[in-house]
Amino acid sequence: MGAPIGYPTRMDTFLRELTERALDVARSAGATYADARYLAEEWESVDAQDQIVQSVDRGVTAGIGIRVIADGAWGFAGTARLEAGDVEAAARLAVEIARSSVPLLKSPVRLAEEPVVDTTWTSPVIEDPFAVSLEEKIALLLDSTKRMQEVAGLSIAEASMDLWRRTSFLATTDGSRIEQTITQSGAGIRALAINDHEVQQRSYPNSFRGHYANRGFEHIRAMELPSNAARIASEAVELLSAPECPSIDTTLVLDAPQLALQVHESIGHPIELDRVLGMEAAYAGTSFLTPGDRGRVRYGSDQITITADATIEGALGSFGYDDEGVAAQSDVVIENGIFKKFISSRETAPEIGEERSNGTMRASGWDVIPLIRMTNINLMPGSSSLDEMISTTDDGIFMSTNQSWSIDDKRVNFQFGTEIAWEIKNGSLGRMLRNPNYAGKTVDFWSSCDAVGGPEEWGVWGTPNCGKGQPGQTARVAHGTAPARFRGVRVGVHG
Amino acid sequence: MTVKGGGPLGEERMREIAAGALKAKADAVHVLIFHSWGGLTRFASSQIHQNTWREDLEIRVMAVADGARIGVAATHSLDPAAVAKATEDALAVARVSPPNPEFPGLAPPASAPAKSGFDAATASTSPAERADYVARALAEFQADMTGAGYVESVADEVLVTNSLGLSMFGATTHAGLSVMAMTGDSSGVAEIIEPRLSAIDPVAIAQRAVSKADRGRNPQPIDAGRYTVVLEPAASSTLMQFMGYLGFGAKAFLEERSFMSGKIGERLCSDLITIVDDPLGAESLGLPFDFEGTPAQRVTLIDRGTARDVVWDRTTAQKVKRDSTGHGLPPPNSSGPFPLNLRMEPGSSSLDELIASTERGLLITRFHYSNVVNEKEAVLTGMTRDGTFLIENGTLKHGVNNLRYTQNAIEALSNVEGVGDSTEISSELFFGGSRAPALKIHDFNFSSATTH
Repeated sequence: MGAPIGYPTRMDTFLRELTERALDVARSAGATYADARYLAEEWESVDAQDQIVQSVDRGVTAGIGIRVIADGAWGFAGTARLEAGDVEAAARLAVEIARSSVPLLKSPVRLAEEPVVDTTWTSPVIEDPFAVSLEEKIALLLDSTKRMQEVAGLSIAEASMDLWRRTSFLATTDGSRIEQTITQSGAGIRALAINDHEVQQRSYPNSFRGHYANRGFEHIRAMELPSNAARIASEAVELLSAPECPSIDTTLVLDAPQLALQVHESIGHPIELDRVLGMEAAYAGTSFLTPGDRGRVRYGSDQITITADATIEGALGSFGYDDEGVAAQSDVVIENGIFKKFISSRETAPEIGEERSNGTMRASGWDVIPLIRMTNINLMPGSSSLDEMISTTDDGIFMSTNQSWSIDDKRVNFQFGTEIAWEIKNGSLGRMLRNPNYAGKTVDFWSSCDAVGGPEEWGVWGTPNCGKGQPGQTARVAHGTAPARFRGVRVGVHG
Repeated sequence: MTVKGGGPLGEERMREIAAGALKAKADAVHVLIFHSWGGLTRFASSQIHQNTWREDLEIRVMAVADGARIGVAATHSLDPAAVAKATEDALAVARVSPPNPEFPGLAPPASAPAKSGFDAATASTSPAERADYVARALAEFQADMTGAGYVESVADEVLVTNSLGLSMFGATTHAGLSVMAMTGDSSGVAEIIEPRLSAIDPVAIAQRAVSKADRGRNPQPIDAGRYTVVLEPAASSTLMQFMGYLGFGAKAFLEERSFMSGKIGERLCSDLITIVDDPLGAESLGLPFDFEGTPAQRVTLIDRGTARDVVWDRTTAQKVKRDSTGHGLPPPNSSGPFPLNLRMEPGSSSLDELIASTERGLLITRFHYSNVVNEKEAVLTGMTRDGTFLIENGTLKHGVNNLRYTQNAIEALSNVEGVGDSTEISSELFFGGSRAPALKIHDFNFSSATTH
């Protein structure tokens, strides 16, 4: 019997038995706990620029990752070589790796209890994106770039599409067996206008390759990319001659996609319990939060309620079970401005007295260990609206669509740039502004929020490029947001 | 007993794997095979908390139909049936893709310069050996300090072959050690990346990190503003790596998105600055050929302050009727060529001399989470971390709270007053490694401060 070929979308008996065989070998070698995770990820990616298809890439990566605890320490080995002998060798190596850690172990790993499950979970798909013809996908992207190019003064028109399907099978020595299939789709367009000094860009529906969700091709059709091409191209060209964002302290209104990244960087990462406990100290950094801050620290104004919700249907950060076999959950992280809860794992939750992981451990591939990752970290809707926020602002700036982000290693001092902004004067939008950015400190910033848009303006924005860990991993997460308003923010930070 | 993991496939085996794909009924076929294995041991709170090993391989097939219709498909399985499926898929994609008028054709057969970058001992490093590096580093720590970081040992094999008869094979290894020492209110970091693990001295690296953390105790707040800075090699590398990302590739150059566009032959920055991309250098980690199968060249990007060239692949070179410099990325590639082995040439001053010549300024160990503010002008922003010190009258006075810089990188390199006499390879959050010396720069702009 051989390894899988082609693009597997369903588990077969061979793969289940191979995965379970890894557990048996790890246990025989001395593991007191083990989980083995088979993952096959199929992808398709199409890039077009200026009516030329720049690249079409298809493929599948498949392998097994074996994580063990032996003598109280973690070990992990992952292999793409799916012959039985290779997987068995990887299982034994994982145990040897764990034992190599023991001389430097301060306290043995203890995992929070978790119910044993034997189940399957599949993300919702109306139209299988891999069944849509490549010709149709190419035509959609080429048409979008053509419409952008028809705008006078535009320099470059780009369009892209990414599709993934992850089929996984997790087996644990606790007895859990979990099979999941998650289909993810995303696409976007970008218009660039260039002069001697600057590159100005506008993107739709979002920057960094667009808008992503746990959905099928229906998600891409709903974007209506070609219909928005001329508008963003015109805005990119207009930005070249727009006045620069002034350097002032002012009222700032952010659109929902920009707020998604603001939530990501200044709430999503600081609430990761591995960062709080120092496990990422040398690389991504730590957090300004401490375990004692739960229920005590004011994180923002009473407008700010944040959830970590892996159960939102169709959201990019949703799943049935995490890669430790913990069911997807929904937790309130910040309630009316007061910090309540971290996102955790089976190892870290007991370290701060929590009885159960809230299910956020995910690995980007079969070849890396699960880490605490954001699920869907959401700023819950308020009662205002974008129109109301602008109409009740005498003097301010409205910024849209992320272009740049940076934050310190404890997640305090941040600076974000957006693609475009407009002045707000006497309750109305005024001139377009180029090179907008703003800076602040996390708690000060969230405390300055005096309005959040309502449910009708609330949506979930996928962030497919969250980096963390060594070896580096890229997670697909999401953030539900509506536009919001902040007072007294420093804008226009120039070099 | 030691369990063996990984091990080379070797050129012959990789050519056998590629042979099936090369027989495809296409106008032309290009095959890339990557094979990688190795371990990474992370430590935090002075104990090993994540300890991993992996072996991956990828067979990437590019098929050409009707002269210029291109399709690419990949598999991570050695199974001949999986390789055949990837080949079929690549051809199927090619047949329905519009012709690409920019396709330059496949690379002709050529010989790559000789380069030996594979160390068998590094490739077969055991978990116990990596753990020993951690133990020896932590043994240098003061009683109240905790440590975090990683030890890594990795081996790679790459085969590039095509239906025109091209075949190039390379094998490399690299090893890295990063040590971060933390007290209650300070931290210090030191990192080293080398082709061989045996070249890494964990004691020396740990002592550097410990010394920084110790000297940085009781950090003082400091106002944002313009300062003379002494950037240690890791911080210099960040500026250079972002310049590489933004402007040293020919696609951005031709699209006039680069700070190099229209500037070739013009003075760009201080004549103390020379930047090259040098995959062939004995100290670089690079292969002597690129992923299109073009022999790699050393390219001088900035020569004593003057813009000289960017790096080219076959597509961009064809547009201006010149040759590729051997900087192509794996197909399909919509990003253009990229400098993967940047080096800023050393100067004549020691780090101590750069500090001693500074009346008032800041010593920066490394930057954190840098990003682009203005693409074409190469304006960057990011934070300092793990060892930021006030310099007064030529000596380190005390540690300071970290600062945010918002600075034009070209302007910074125009304000260079001194260049360190040695270089180090450093990694950056968003990129791989590059080699740079320390730099002394006046009027470096810090736009705000943080709380620690």
